[in-house]
Amino acid sequence: MKWTPQDIEMYAKSKEYVDTVVISLFPVSFGQEMKQSASMSEFLTLLTNQLERLFTGRILTLPPFTYLKNGNNEQWLPLLKQWEKKLQEEEVKHIVYLTSDSDWKMNEAELEGTLIWMPSLPLETMDDSQKFTLVQSQVKQLQQLVTQKWQENE
Amino acid sequence: MSKHRVSRRQFLSYTLTGVGGFMAAGMLMPMVRFAVDPVLKADKGGNFIPTKQKVADLTSDPVRVDFTFKQKDAWYESDVTNTAWVYKNDKGEIVALSPTCKHLGCTVGWNTDKRYPNQFFCPCHYGRYEKDGTNIPGTPPQAPLDVYPFKEKDGYLYLSQAKPRTGA
Ligand code: FES
Repeated sequence: MKWTPQDIEMYAKSKEYVDTVVISLFPVSFGQEMKQSASMSEFLTLLTNQLERLFTGRILTLPPFTYLKNGNNEQWLPLLKQWEKKLQEEEVKHIVYLTSDSDWKMNEAELEGTLIWMPSLPLETMDDSQKFTLVQSQVKQLQQLVTQKWQENE
Repeated sequence: MSKHRVSRRQFLSYTLTGVGGFMAAGMLMPMVRFAVDPVLKADKGGNFIPTKQKVADLTSDPVRVDFTFKQKDAWYESDVTNTAWVYKNDKGEIVALSPTCKHLGCTVGWNTDKRYPNQFFCPCHYGRYEKDGTNIPGTPPQAPLDVYPFKEKDGYLYLSQAKPRTGA
């Protein structure tokens, strides 16, 4: 389910079936890295949407966690922790973070949720069918990771 | 086109309400919905969309067929890709099923759970369907998978909007 009023209505009715929340982590950079950060967010948005379509009935995608990129993600950690705390209160069982920002790797241990790092691919250089095939194959891997996680916990 | 359209003048007055209008938002919202709805619903239902699937290549094994079309909402047109599971049944008739689970809308796979071969399987809450799309009692879905109307043109499969199965 997406972060839209229609889907949230559905969520409210079938909350017991939705045990997983997906949050994408969006770094925003300026200067030299500006384009790359835009590219990352385009890619992740596509991925998240596709993943949501596959698992509509069991995951809720939150609006992306967006932050200014300045070399160290330490400072955003407390904010994410607050989200996690809230989600746990809401009885969400699985939290999945999707990001192309490899710096999060360093903080992985401190996060409750599962961090999935996807290499960012320059979609802007591809035509539609290449894009489609590529995103499709990434989504497939993601899909496996998520189902695995569900199975581990059963 | 629509029976409930707000009059033009009314609509204009809503649009012009501006910032002060936030106060009255509670009252305003339902009306705005009416004004916007016809546009949102203007999807091209009933149109057949070409797929890359050759009808002659279909067998009794369901294959995944993706097809893309343009969908318009109030602001922009976007490409939407839909998927169908397509095969020929015992009588040689084409069957094109929607992969959207009738429980809460996840995408079902064919033959993806080893414990239940030759069924459609939903990874979310383990809903299952027979090959013909019938939901298997005791699993969460309460209805059979939707069916795509289809037609054949120049040897290729064309699909339209999936519809709930009738009769059966
Ligand atoms: S969404 Fe398919 S079983 Fe729940």
